[in-house]
Amino acid sequence: MRIFHSGKILPARSIRFALPALIILLGALVLAALATGDMPLSAGRLLAGLRREDAIAATIVWQMRLPRILSAILVGAALSSAGLVMQAYFRNSLANPGLLGVSSGGAAGAVFAIAAGWASVSLWFLPLAAVVGALAATLGVLVLARRGASTERLLLAGVALNALLGAVTSYILSRHIGLYERNAQILFWLIGGLEDRTWEHVIIALPIVAAGLLLLPLARSMDLMSLGVSEAQSLGVDVRRVRRQMLALATVLTAVATAIAGAVGFVGLVVPHILRLLVGPEHRRLVPLSLVGGAVFVLACDTAGRMAGGIQLGIITSVIGAPFFLWLLRRLP
Amino acid sequence: MNFLDIIDATVPGRLGNVSLGLPGGKLVGLVGPNGAGKSTLLRVAAGLLPSGGSVAWNGRPLPGISALERARCAAWVPQEAHFEFGFSVRSVVAQGRYAHGDDDSGVEEALVRFGLSALAERPVNHLSGGEKERVLLARAIVTEAPLQLWDEPLAPLDPRHRLEVLVLARELAQKGSTVFLSLHDLSLASSLDLLAVLSSTHLRAIGSPAEILTPELLLEVFGVRASEAPGLNFELP
Repeated sequence: MRIFHSGKILPARSIRFALPALIILLGALVLAALATGDMPLSAGRLLAGLRREDAIAATIVWQMRLPRILSAILVGAALSSAGLVMQAYFRNSLANPGLLGVSSGGAAGAVFAIAAGWASVSLWFLPLAAVVGALAATLGVLVLARRGASTERLLLAGVALNALLGAVTSYILSRHIGLYERNAQILFWLIGGLEDRTWEHVIIALPIVAAGLLLLPLARSMDLMSLGVSEAQSLGVDVRRVRRQMLALATVLTAVATAIAGAVGFVGLVVPHILRLLVGPEHRRLVPLSLVGGAVFVLACDTAGRMAGGIQLGIITSVIGAPFFLWLLRRLP
Repeated sequence: MNFLDIIDATVPGRLGNVSLGLPGGKLVGLVGPNGAGKSTLLRVAAGLLPSGGSVAWNGRPLPGISALERARCAAWVPQEAHFEFGFSVRSVVAQGRYAHGDDDSGVEEALVRFGLSALAERPVNHLSGGEKERVLLARAIVTEAPLQLWDEPLAPLDPRHRLEVLVLARELAQKGSTVFLSLHDLSLASSLDLLAVLSSTHLRAIGSPAEILTPELLLEVFGVRASEAPGLNFELP
């Protein structure tokens, strides 16, 4: 693999093709994911199913595979773009969406809902509890870190809250050792997966689209923010407003993704990182690319997991992501 | 009317009741021992650090100026910059045009002026300290801000680039801008129009270098005296 002296893997003239290429790849993946599964569909049956001309194929496509595929796309786009925002916010390419306790807050909320038995009352309760937990955690971090919320304070408050919420989750888990079914449900959720996602989940995930679109106009400010807060301020960025917006969007994206798919790891770290190596650090390119790239990565992982006999998404993202990431790091100068 | 008016600027433990006014078209040095408050004063002057007292540019108090307009009035060069991400040299310099709608005007000229043309596509986080400093200065220049606040711009530069930066600063001053820069090299400082001396967070003196750099002040503030030895400017008392 060649690394150009610009520090990017792609030569300058190919960079503008990265987004169209990813979009085409996503389209191909959607078709592949629709066709594969316990009951593979031929191109003809897939088309008949999409047109609702074949009742069985229609049920498989519309009720089972499409909601799961859309959930994967939205969750991937959300986690990857949230990771990108956090990396710009903390000016550190190792930052991830869970840094401020959003994911562990979501996990604690969801686990509580399962343990309390709410999750079985209505399909809406579990994701709702996760979103409430995630937002409460972020609010907690902001209150703890008050006074201008400097980066260091935020990070330390996030570390503390992550530990606390992790303990809450472990405690609830330990109290249900005997209740196999409930514990299995909690464990499933903590690993993260997209099994049996329905159209309700897709609806819950729609704020991701809005948040993703709101990120686009922030891209230029994020370039300046990622080089330093004082520098950005002196160059004309309204730092307080932009930081607030970045934090709010990253939180919503992570909270909703966690509510849909549980605690899926590694996406927010690895996807922006790979994209940055490919096209460079400009957010004007990275924001749209990480939305689509995250969708591609999660849909590919979930489909691979389905083909491998139902391995959960949270396991696959790390199993595929980590070695690929290590390989990439070894190739860097 | 002064380009920069600072009245009673106070940052607890770092700056105490500093007042100064800088007219337009001047090349002004800021000297003082380590920890005297030079970087703090420049940050306060740039409106980047809240302080007691008041700061005004061109007679306008800072709180009344929007973030974008501030960037068109004053440029600030940090003492050192940490670049986590590999933005190209050209794109970092072009960030100076953020407040002008990213129009890229003057970017190529600045790259040439600071000898950065050959490095334009290189990632900025792979540059040497002196090269990074030139990138920061080029970014400050392309803002076209009439008030230029540079925190130790000369320290990481080689002798030739030091002189080039001073020549450029002189040109800016002749065009009516005010350049306010901190530095440690007192022999370079003596070539500037005005010198402000900070000592233990307080403004000790301000005036022309000839008036300011007296043997008594050198001994009192810096703990050195002018040397008779050839090639050596100062020595320990």
